[in-house]
Amino acid sequence: MTQGLKRSFKLGLAFVAAAAVGHVGIVLATPGALMQVAMKRMSHGGEIINAFDFGARTTQKSRWVVRPSPDLAYSSCVYDLSKGPLLIEAAPSPGNGYVSLSVFDARTDNIAVFDSNQHPQGIRFVLARAGQATPPGAAVVISPSERGIVLDRRLAPSAELFAAADKARRADRCEPITG
Amino acid sequence: MARHAYRRWTMPLTLAAGLVLGAASGWWVMAHAGARGVEVKGWTGSSVAGAVDADAWTRAQVAVRGLLALNKSQAIYLTTRRDDQGQPLREGCRYRVSGGAMPARWWSVTVYAADNFLPINDDDALSFDATEVRPDAAGNWTALLASKREGDGAWASTRNAGAFDITLRLYNPAPAVQADLHAIPVPRVTRIDCAGGGA
Repeated sequence: MTQGLKRSFKLGLAFVAAAAVGHVGIVLATPGALMQVAMKRMSHGGEIINAFDFGARTTQKSRWVVRPSPDLAYSSCVYDLSKGPLLIEAAPSPGNGYVSLSVFDARTDNIAVFDSNQHPQGIRFVLARAGQATPPGAAVVISPSERGIVLDRRLAPSAELFAAADKARRADRCEPITG
Repeated sequence: MARHAYRRWTMPLTLAAGLVLGAASGWWVMAHAGARGVEVKGWTGSSVAGAVDADAWTRAQVAVRGLLALNKSQAIYLTTRRDDQGQPLREGCRYRVSGGAMPARWWSVTVYAADNFLPINDDDALSFDATEVRPDAAGNWTALLASKREGDGAWASTRNAGAFDITLRLYNPAPAVQADLHAIPVPRVTRIDCAGGGA
C-alpha cells in the first residue's frame, strides 16, 4: 500500500470512529441533559425542591415539557435525596377520578408508578436511595439517582373537573421525613 | 509550507467532521426518525417508553418527544402523522376519526404541532376524550379533526397546527394490550376534504 493510500485509509477510519462516538455520545447524553432542564424549570430554578408545585391547567401556552396532555392536571415535585428520604403522598380526586404518581430518575426512567385503581384511598410511599434508613412497614421506592421528578397526574378534561382536581391535590405531600 | 499545514490539520478536521456528523445523525434519529417500537395500523408506539429496560435510542427518542412518559402498565401512547391513505395530516384538511370501545379505563386523542407542543390557538379544544364521544349501540364513535367546530360532536381543533400529528393515550390499559400493542383497536383517520379542493 502506498503512503498516500495508507493515509487515506487512516483518515477514513478516523472519520467513521469519530462519527460513531458523536452519534452514540449524543444519544446517551440527551436524556440526562433534558431531564436537567426539566428539573430546573419545574423547580423554578432550584427554588422549589422536595415540595409539590401545582401546575396551571394545560393550554396551548404550556411549554415546560413536550407533548403535554390538555386533559390532565399536572403537579411536580423535583426531589433531592442527598439529605435523606422523602414521604410522598397523593390524595384521591373526587369520584375516584384517575390519579397517578410516577417517579422518574435522572436518566428519565419511570422507576415507579402508583395509581388510584390500586390505591383508591390515596397513594403513600417513601422515596429513598439504597442504604438510607426508612420507616418500618412503609412502601419504599429506591431511586438510582439522587435527583429526579415525582409527577402527579389527575384526570381533568374540563375547567370544572380541573377545579375539583386542583382542590384535591393541595393535600399532596413531598417532604423530608422527620422524627 | 502550505502542504505541511494541510497535512497537519487534516486529521483534527476529519475527527471534528466525524463527530459533528455523528452527533447530527444521533439528533435526527431522536427527533425525526420513525419511532423505535411497534407499528399498529399506521400508529406507532413503544412498549418500553419510560421503562427501565428501554434501550438507549428509545430512551433518547422518548426524552426528546415525550419526556416523563409513563410506562405501559399505566399508559400507552400511540401516535400517527398520516391518514388512512398514508397522506400526512395537515391543518388545511378535515378528518374524521372513528373507532370503537377502547381497552382502557380512559382514553384521549390530542393534536400536536410539528414542534411537539400543542397548537397555538384559543379554541379550548386541543383534544377529545372518552367522555366527549357518543358511542352508538355497538360502541362505535366518530370525532372531527378540523380547524373549525362543526355541530356539537367531539372535536379537536387543528387551527395553527400546520403539519401535525395526533397521539392516542390509553390510561390503565387492559393487560391484554399491555402484553401486545397490536391488540389495540386503533381509531381510523379518514380525510374528509381539504381547503382548495381534493378529498
